[in-house]
Amino acid sequence: MTAISPPPRPVTVYEPTVTGLPAMGPYLRGIWARRPFMWHLARTELKARNYDTALGQVWIILDPMLMVAVYYMLRSVVRPIGTELDRNFLIDHLIWAVCFFQFTSKSLRSGAQSILSNKQMILNTAFPRAIFPIVAVTIGFLDLMPTLVVYAIIHAILGLPFGISLAVLPLMLVLLTMFNLGCALLYAPLAVFFRDTTALLPYLSQVWLYMTPVLYTVGEIPPNLKPILQWNPLYVFWAALEQIFAGRMPSPGYVLASAAWAVAFLLGGAVLFLIRERDFAIRF
Amino acid sequence: MTRRAKTGRTVEALKDVSFDVASGSVYGVIGRNGAGKSTLFRTIAGILPPTEGRVTLFGRVTPLLSLGVGFNRELTGRENILLGGLAVGLDPAEVGRRYNEVVEFAELGEALDYPMRTYSSGMFSRLGFAIAAHLDPEILLIDEALAAGDAKFKQKCFAKIAELCERDCTVMLVSHGMQIVKQLAVRCLWLERGVARMEGPADEVVGAYLEEMGTGKQASAMEDF
Repeated sequence: MTAISPPPRPVTVYEPTVTGLPAMGPYLRGIWARRPFMWHLARTELKARNYDTALGQVWIILDPMLMVAVYYMLRSVVRPIGTELDRNFLIDHLIWAVCFFQFTSKSLRSGAQSILSNKQMILNTAFPRAIFPIVAVTIGFLDLMPTLVVYAIIHAILGLPFGISLAVLPLMLVLLTMFNLGCALLYAPLAVFFRDTTALLPYLSQVWLYMTPVLYTVGEIPPNLKPILQWNPLYVFWAALEQIFAGRMPSPGYVLASAAWAVAFLLGGAVLFLIRERDFAIRF
Repeated sequence: MTRRAKTGRTVEALKDVSFDVASGSVYGVIGRNGAGKSTLFRTIAGILPPTEGRVTLFGRVTPLLSLGVGFNRELTGRENILLGGLAVGLDPAEVGRRYNEVVEFAELGEALDYPMRTYSSGMFSRLGFAIAAHLDPEILLIDEALAAGDAKFKQKCFAKIAELCERDCTVMLVSHGMQIVKQLAVRCLWLERGVARMEGPADEVVGAYLEEMGTGKQASAMEDF
């Protein structure tokens, strides 16, 4: 009888810390292999988030809608709304703009905390740490999905049209997700090495909200402010989305600029994260 | 292996520590608090990079360095079995295949359906070890993870460790319970302030350690009772 040999064991060698990027092939394969873990981690964190509240997962929708109500009241005080059509357009704009901005701000906030809040896992398990910002952005994406369904229903109730431009929405979602992941990867190591940056984050997020066409449309921006606001990476995303939700095909310039920002932030964030990743466990 | 303290001083957590572990054996690591035992295990697991020297591993490392790592305390034990299994590298199908073995080994009964924030440290220990031990580990690192379990569960763990070694799994064990180390380990390393004080057969190293501690042959930790 022939004995079946066990498969050869993998040989792993850990050598002194080197600077620079890790070997990207094994690193990316490590992340790819952890897809079920990342998905399950995101779902369980979402499930546990509102476990003890009376309304539970309803807060995923209630939270952005309450913000929309607050901003609507703010807008109606600052400038009278005008016709019913204007009011409907404003409500429609605020809903999608707030929901998408919350996707970005939550990704940034959770991504920034993702390494610090997973200290136990960082210290006691060995897998690519980029998993944590990826999970943070995944949670933001999962939060966004039911709000889009609510938005679609309200959009229809308000009598506003759906156009063929919605076919471009998945592309913009992918680009915004890439951008948000880049922000999370960029901020996470900053939060580890400079803890004060997490305290600055709410203020940065608030300023970013005012500089992005969330509380106002692109058409309402005064001409003298437009050149300044256009330096905001989110400007082109929101400008494209505004056209999509108004039933118009987005300008190719906005889409290309969104893609450029998405790739730049993702690559820049990934490089910073990966060159500092080895020091996370040492910093705790 | 150095770690930078917040005051700016450099602390050498491990210095000139060199040893080999035979495949399929149990290897003990003992020492006082702060000796560098956990740092050593984290270096072996690839969590902390060495600043000098090299760690060479022949096999996949399954670390059990802390109780409840990867668990979400708001979820039930059952839900966390999947999460814990995925955290250490299994895919959902593999966790499913081992699910019943894990449940049977943990012996938590209906507590598996309670949120883990209601669990005692012993219950965490049961579930954490049950998951780690059923993942077909090739190199299993256990850092005090058995400390919280009751005597019956510890005996069960010892039997499981022996079974794993028969399957050519290498087990490295940190424990303050010297009887546990003597019972399980073939060879042992004594660390003191990051330096290898002694390395050799477990009986000899443990005996020298206890003599140094002044406890003689008595139990040196609550785990020994």
